[in-house]
Formats: sequence, C-alpha cells, structure tokens
Amino acid sequence: MKSMAITIFVVLIIAILALYLFSFQVREIETSLVTTFGKPTRKITEPGWYFKLPAPIQRVHTFDSRMRVYEADLGETTTKGAAPIIVNTYVVWKIVEPLRFFNAVGTIKEATSKLYSQISDTQNKVIGQHAFSEFVNSDPSKIRFRQIEEEMLAELQKSLEHANYGIEIKTLGIKQLKISEDVSKDVFERMKAERNRRTEATKSEGDAQARKIESDANLKKEVLQATARARATIIKAQGDAEAAQYYEMLEAEPELAIFLRNIDALKEVLKERSTIVLTTDTDIVRLLREMPHIKLIEPNEPQTQPR
Amino acid sequence: MDEQNHESNENLQAQSPGNKTGEELDAAGKSLSEALRISFAILKVIMLILVVIFLASGFRTVGSDEQAIVLRFGKIRGVGEERLLGPGLHWVFPYPVDEIVKIPVQKKVNLPIDSFWYYQSASELLGGGPKPRTNFSEKLNPVRDGYCITRSEKQDQALTGTAGSDYNIIHCKWQLTYKIDDPERFFRNVYVDLEKIPAGQNYADIISKNISQPLEYMFADAVVTAMVNFTIDDVLFEQVATIAQHVKKLLQEKLDTIESGIQVVSVQLTDKTWPRQVNEAFQDSIKASQERQKAVSEAKTYAERTLNKVAGPIAAQLYAALQDETVSEEQKEFLWLQLAGTAQDIIAEALAYQTKVVASAQARAEYLKKILPELRKRPELVMQKIYQDAIVEVLSNAEDKYVVQPIRDSKGREVRIYISKDINTKQSSD
Repeated sequence: MKSMAITIFVVLIIAILALYLFSFQVREIETSLVTTFGKPTRKITEPGWYFKLPAPIQRVHTFDSRMRVYEADLGETTTKGAAPIIVNTYVVWKIVEPLRFFNAVGTIKEATSKLYSQISDTQNKVIGQHAFSEFVNSDPSKIRFRQIEEEMLAELQKSLEHANYGIEIKTLGIKQLKISEDVSKDVFERMKAERNRRTEATKSEGDAQARKIESDANLKKEVLQATARARATIIKAQGDAEAAQYYEMLEAEPELAIFLRNIDALKEVLKERSTIVLTTDTDIVRLLREMPHIKLIEPNEPQTQPR
Repeated sequence: MDEQNHESNENLQAQSPGNKTGEELDAAGKSLSEALRISFAILKVIMLILVVIFLASGFRTVGSDEQAIVLRFGKIRGVGEERLLGPGLHWVFPYPVDEIVKIPVQKKVNLPIDSFWYYQSASELLGGGPKPRTNFSEKLNPVRDGYCITRSEKQDQALTGTAGSDYNIIHCKWQLTYKIDDPERFFRNVYVDLEKIPAGQNYADIISKNISQPLEYMFADAVVTAMVNFTIDDVLFEQVATIAQHVKKLLQEKLDTIESGIQVVSVQLTDKTWPRQVNEAFQDSIKASQERQKAVSEAKTYAERTLNKVAGPIAAQLYAALQDETVSEEQKEFLWLQLAGTAQDIIAEALAYQTKVVASAQARAEYLKKILPELRKRPELVMQKIYQDAIVEVLSNAEDKYVVQPIRDSKGREVRIYISKDINTKQSSD
C-alpha cells in the first residue's frame, strides 16, 4: 500500500518529464519548426500546445517572429549625377516563414549579414537612379525623399521575396544622410558666402528701410506744414476780409485813411530797437534851432489857428 | 480537485497498513513499519507544502502603471477587454500553463537623440562650460560627426545658378517622449528580450532599454526626412515648433506602419546650432539683422519725433485724414483743433494776425468815426495833431536819437554816424 503512494508519486514525475519530452509550447510571438532527424517536417505559426516525439528523434526550433531593426552601416554611394552621398539605411524586419528561414538562413546573425548585402545592392541601385537634387532641393516640391525611401523598400521587398529567406521587411528608412568629408568643406564655403551675401543684403535693406521711414516722416512733415500754412493763409485772408468791412467805413475819406494807415505802419515799423537820425531841418526838432514866427490871427476871424 | 483526490488516497493508504498486517509482524517489523509510516507522513507534508507553494506562485502583482497579458499555452488568454489585466493582484496558473507579461503603459519615457550633433571629446563634454569654438577640423567627418542636411532658400536658385541642389548643414539635438499605448500590439510586434530579465529588475527599464535602438533609428529617419524640407533659418529661428510637429507626425506614421503600439507623446528640438566652421559668418549675419532692427527703430523714433514736433500726437492721424478722401470735413476740423507743434505755431500766428488785423481795422474805423466831425471842422489842426502824436511815439520808442545840423555851404563834407548793433558806441567825424 505504501508502494501505491510511491507509485503515484513516480507516475506524476514521469508524466511531467514526458510532457517535457513529448510536447512543447509555441508562444504568440514565436513560430516553430519541428525537425525529425534533422529534417524539417512540421512548421507551426499558430500559438498553442503541441506534441512531438522526444529528442533526438524530433527537435523544435523556435524563432521569435517579432520585429527587429537592423542598420546597414554603409559607406559612400553615388547619385545619378555622380555626386557622392552617404546614406545609412535601417530596416525593420521579421521572420515570417520558419521553414524558409531555417533552410536558407538559420541564425539571426546570418540573417543580418544577408540583409546587409541585400540593402547594399538595393541602395546602390535606387540611389543611382536619383539625382542629389531629389534628396534635398531648395524647391520643396522637387524633393523626392519619401519616394526614394519607398522605392528602396519596394525594391528590397522584391529581392527578398525572390531570395526566399522567409524574412519580411516591414519598413525601411534613411537614418543618416551625409556627405563626404571633402564636400563638407565646400558646403561650408558656400554657406559662408551665402551668409555674407545675406549679411550685406540685411545691412543695405536696413539702411533702405530706415531711410524710407525717415524720408516718409519728412514728407509728412512737409505736407503737414504746407497744409498748416495754407490753412494759416486762409485764416489770415479771413481776417483781412473781416477787416475790410471796417475799411469800407473809411472809404468816405480815402486819403485820410491812407494817411492814418501810414502812420500806424510807421509806428509799427519803428517800434523797437530803432535809431533815428534827424536833421535840425525836421519840423519837430526845428525848435531846437530857432523859435518859430507865429502870427496870431485877429480874434474876429475865427479860423484854423496854428499853435 | 485533482489535488484533493490525491490527498484522500494518500490518507487511505497511510491508515491501511496498521489495520491489516499488524498481528503478523514482530517487534522489529513493527518498528520498521512505524518508521516508514512517519517518513511517509513527512513526505506527505512536504508534498502538500510544495503544492501550496506551486499554487501560490500563481499570484502576481500588476503595478499601477502597468498592464499584463496572460499567455495560456502560448496563446493570449481572453477575449476583448479581458485580454488585458489591469493593476492589482492576479492569480494565474503557474508555468508552464500560464505566463504573465507585464507591460508599462502609462509611463512616459524620455529618449534623448544626440546623433545629429558634432563630435565632442570626453573633455569637451565634461567641461560643460562654453562650447570651445576653436580646435576643430574645417571638415565634418561623416562617421564621427552628426548633422542634418537642410534645403536652401528658394530664391537663391536664380542667384547662384545651381540646379536647386544647394543645401546647408545644421547640428541639432532632440528629445523624444513616448509611451506604450497598445500593450498587445507592442507585445506582438516589438522585439524585447524578456528572457534575460535579471531577477527583481523593473520591466519598464528593460523594455525602454530594449526599444531605444529601434526608436532612435526611426526617430532619426523622421528627422532626416523632415529636415530636408526646411531651410536652416527655419530650424534656427523661425519654425522650430512646426518642425518638431512634422517630425512627430512622421515618426508616428512609422510606428503605426509597424504596428508597434507605441505613441509619441512629444518631440522637442532641444538644441540646434550652425556648424562651428561657419560660426563667424552667422554671427555677422545676426549682428547685421540686429543692426538693421536698431537702424529701423531709430528711424521710427526719428519719424515719431519729427511728426510730433510738427503737429503733436495727432500728426499721423491728421496726415492720414488729409490723404483720405473719405474722411469728413468735420473729422478733419476736429483733428485740426488738436494740432500742436510747429504747424500749430503757424496757425496760431495766423489767428493772431487775424485777430489783430480785424481789431486794428475796427479800432481805426472807430477812431476815424470819432474824429471825423472834428476833422471836418478843423482839418489842418487835427491832422497836425495826429501826425505829431505819431512822431512823438516813434521818437520816444527809438533807442537812440541823433540830431545833426547840416552845413550846406561846405561842399564835400558830411556827417557819418556809425551805429553798432549791440553796443551803443557812436562815432562821428566831420
């Protein structure tokens, strides 16, 4: 009876061992290949629990089917116009066909080296068909950057399908776009020249702008002043016109009016800072020289009497 | 249930030996059977403990910023929303039946991208101070130095005569912030080496370490693709936000293409500079534009001052009104009333003149009206009085007065008086 308990215990252990030997799991993110005596006999792409014969009869090879990135670190290539260009491309790839992958590639390391040569070929081919000006252009509408990436992707997918590695390229991209060392020097020279030209342009533009603002202000000033002056003239004319109403009253005695105005004018002119030189002949200072002879008129003849 | 069945079986077995064979065994046999019974009981307890431990190992905690996927025999368990386990304590069948994969979802991860910056030696990086502007090659090494290529200004084509393939070089640094927003997609499609998680290490750290390289690649791709569409001035001064937005869009597109389940939270252009090799030209350019700004603002000040001087604060308004046919006369008059400055002086002078000329005309008219009756009576006398009054006024107002006696008989002799303007010095000679 003790042995019965022991038997159960042993059976349990054997069962677990058997499970390990006769079955295996394929996870959601994996694909597997079962080989019988080294020959691939079954591929499993659906996740689940599967039976197999124990090793060494059957072996299970599991491949991770998630996406991986690989960067092909390449040197210089040339564009259509023979311009050197350095393009670093990466791909996002995954294993889709465990059987093909097992037969044609085997390991991840081997896969990347295969990818390297594929990318290299594709890149040289596609870039050679495009001019440098399609990568970067002062006219944005002429830039074909995305199209070039897409062309490379299509080309690479085509050639991988042809090669039948069981690998799929999900996407591809250019992660570095560079130029050779010597060209960079030329670019700098050009950038400098361009900047200097712009500096000059900025300077003269600034001068012109400033001058325009100033002359504009001066013009406005002139206009305002002229308008004010015109307005002043009108105001003065209005004054003159108003004054003229009073002059009408003087029309009765024009000569007298003129005399009066002359007197006013004289007063105005000699109002200040004047120096007057008179000769003793002048009526008003004649008194300084001599006593006038005054002839008195008879009282019965009352007429104008000089003093 | 299985476990319980086992246990009851075992109990049965443990009791039966004593009942059946007790009388046939001698003392030695009895003690042996006793020993076996005890050891068997111990074994039973151990097995029980093992079973409990085994079952307890199915308890797993999912952190507050995590979600978990359960794989049952390798297949994702559940349907719809049940496929994901939220934060909290969960029980799953222990391995090999169930497997739990925890994925950080809410956690935002920052990833700096420095691959577009020029090479800096360790000492330069550690120096931290102002970037040394000397001591660099006049070329950029495509392997060592990072940079972006930007397009040239469009109008330059005509000037330089090239086929539009001109471009500029710029260095820039970025920061990407992302999070995993679709754990299942992320788990299915993005390669993360979870087998190698050392015990006790955070899932989130491992994941972000694992995916930083693919993200960097895709980010660099987005930057390169975006940058060729912008000019160096866009990047340096004008359109920083637009560019970041553009890069973000491109990157998200890429991430969606591969169904990564990763969401770009933000993309920032953290630093940017023109190549050191062309620093001087760029500094000059910046200086020039500052000078331009200065010149323009000075000119504006001048303009303002000039106009203010001419017509006061309403100068510009008045000028505009004068040029504008549609402005009504009333409005113009209103503006004229607010006039100041030299133009106002002109107007004021005119107004003064107006007042004066009217007043004096009026005064003269009044005067004449008043004296006319007297004048009619004694013209000579009144005229004389007016004349003399005027002369008196004039002479009394004069600063200097000279009275000289002309000597008519002596020919060739004259009197000269020299009058100095400021000082009252006089000279006379015969």
